[in-house]
Amino acid sequence: MRFALTEEQDALKRQARRFLEQRSSSADVRRVMVTDAGFAAEAWAEMVQLGWTALLVPERHGGVGLGPVELAAVMEEAGASLACAPLLSTVGLATNVLLRADESHQAALLPEIAAGRLRAAVALAGEVDARPDADEVVLHGHKSFVVDGHSADLLLVVAGDGVYVVRANAEGLSRRARATLDPTRKLAELTFDSVRVPASARLCHGAAVDGALDRAKVALAAEQLGGAERCLALSVEYAKTRVQFGRPIGSFQAIKHHCADLLVLVESARSAVWWAAFLAATDDPELPLAASLARSYASEAYLQAAGQTIQIHGGMGFTWDHDAHLHLRRARGSATLLGDPSAERERLAHKLGLSS
Amino acid sequence: MKILVTAKRVPDPEQKVKLKGNELDQSATNWQLNQFDEYAVETALRLTENASAGNARDGEVVVVSIGPKDVQQQLRSTLAMGADKAILVAGEDAELDAEIVARTIQKLAERDKPDLILMGKLAADSESNDAGQRLAGYLGWPQATFAGTIEVVDGGKALLVGREVDAGIETKKVTLPAVVTVDLRIVAPHAIKNGKTAKDHAYAEGPRYASLKGIMAAKKKPIEDTTLQALGVTAQKRIKTTTLEAPPARKAGIKVQSVEELVQKLHSEAKVI
Repeated sequence: MRFALTEEQDALKRQARRFLEQRSSSADVRRVMVTDAGFAAEAWAEMVQLGWTALLVPERHGGVGLGPVELAAVMEEAGASLACAPLLSTVGLATNVLLRADESHQAALLPEIAAGRLRAAVALAGEVDARPDADEVVLHGHKSFVVDGHSADLLLVVAGDGVYVVRANAEGLSRRARATLDPTRKLAELTFDSVRVPASARLCHGAAVDGALDRAKVALAAEQLGGAERCLALSVEYAKTRVQFGRPIGSFQAIKHHCADLLVLVESARSAVWWAAFLAATDDPELPLAASLARSYASEAYLQAAGQTIQIHGGMGFTWDHDAHLHLRRARGSATLLGDPSAERERLAHKLGLSS
Repeated sequence: MKILVTAKRVPDPEQKVKLKGNELDQSATNWQLNQFDEYAVETALRLTENASAGNARDGEVVVVSIGPKDVQQQLRSTLAMGADKAILVAGEDAELDAEIVARTIQKLAERDKPDLILMGKLAADSESNDAGQRLAGYLGWPQATFAGTIEVVDGGKALLVGREVDAGIETKKVTLPAVVTVDLRIVAPHAIKNGKTAKDHAYAEGPRYASLKGIMAAKKKPIEDTTLQALGVTAQKRIKTTTLEAPPARKAGIKVQSVEELVQKLHSEAKVI
């Protein structure tokens, strides 16, 4: 079996890198992360034009009909550049959930997402009741840590035993962006105060989210891999050029060991992430295992890579001017999204029959 | 309009060049499309589409390169941008010079009869800036080099080309078929007026990024493989490399105590004032 990117996947990844180098530079990230929206509308419009929102959407719904491997390629580059864009929320999470909805919902919503007319978020953590009332459903409760929930046009809410589509302007819905450690990704608190939606707003059974979540985890792990790779590249470049005691600091064994350890971490994370993406693309029953493995490994690899990057850069590493601390914040934030590494390992152990 | 665009792969200009004996060590080279050639592809696409009507295409863009098999990667990237077809003429970089390139494109032009040949003004590696001029001479076609603007006039029978020359912009009218080499500003938002797209249309600055659809479509577009022999190119290489050496390492600078000392050193030692 050939376990490498195809020529097209490679071209797509190169193109994503090139685009993000231009539109998601360090200065762009710093400019955008302090805005209320948390993303730049112009850059997002260009990402839509490049086809990123259409990536997972089937061709019959106006998409490109690609899969998890191609998404992982884009997410890896997005992670490397700390891109502030609703990619994880709209593509990684919401599109994957919508792909599990019935055909009529898919036909109504996926073309809108593919064309960039809708940005969507998935509300997972928290409790929301879904009470049927005639031909409506009343949603009541609270959701937390909703990625891009403050700015999405559409919210896919896990409530009761189902997933419901709620428009952002629904009466009774209030949204608030939280101040979090990672300024490059916005998380929101949503309050549902007897929000009424038609019964037809039920997308799918809540259990269908699990499959979507595994795929979203692979996308997030790929983003973390990209971040870890960038930390390694920053560290190696600095170690080669920063001269101390008359020699580049990379010639000192302590720095060499750190860089070598980071390389091992990054390459192992890459194996885990690409394996998971490959299993997702082939609908392999082992995907839940691979997704948990990729997430737990990539989370820790990114955290360590970002932490070591600060150490290797010395005092400069933790100044506001250097990107190392933005990576550390992103690494910390990402590690706790959709399940932290210890929860993923527990899930893994459970699936392997290693825990009670 | 049928446009033939030339495209050369060059080593990444950001990458540090290594020497191996009397030649470049290309074992770890990152190859990319010569930037001016990418601008030429973008120009060809802008000339053959109606950007005011959903980029409806009206014309054909064929991209040609001379090089080893893996130049296909750069050709595919131009197909992903929107070009219709590519031609790869087998050849090794070390065995080519502007004379062979010009003669090869001449043969292709005589075979395929394009209305326009677009080229980058120079390649970032050799910077020789003479293939386009030679080609126009061999074909007996009008030429306009260093194009910063192009406007299609006379119902598509001629081009009004704004050339970037030392004194400013020289506007030149060339009847088609012609050879045009493009400069940096050809990818500015208002540089191309093709007679179909609204005159005030503003393109995005720079060459376009290939979309996912473009990348997937490129897979199915044809790349014709041919050789110098098959095209009947008999030209011999005229340029011979005698030696190749890296520029000397920069010496450390010196600090001066005062402006007077600086002026004195610039005058007596550097002899620049």
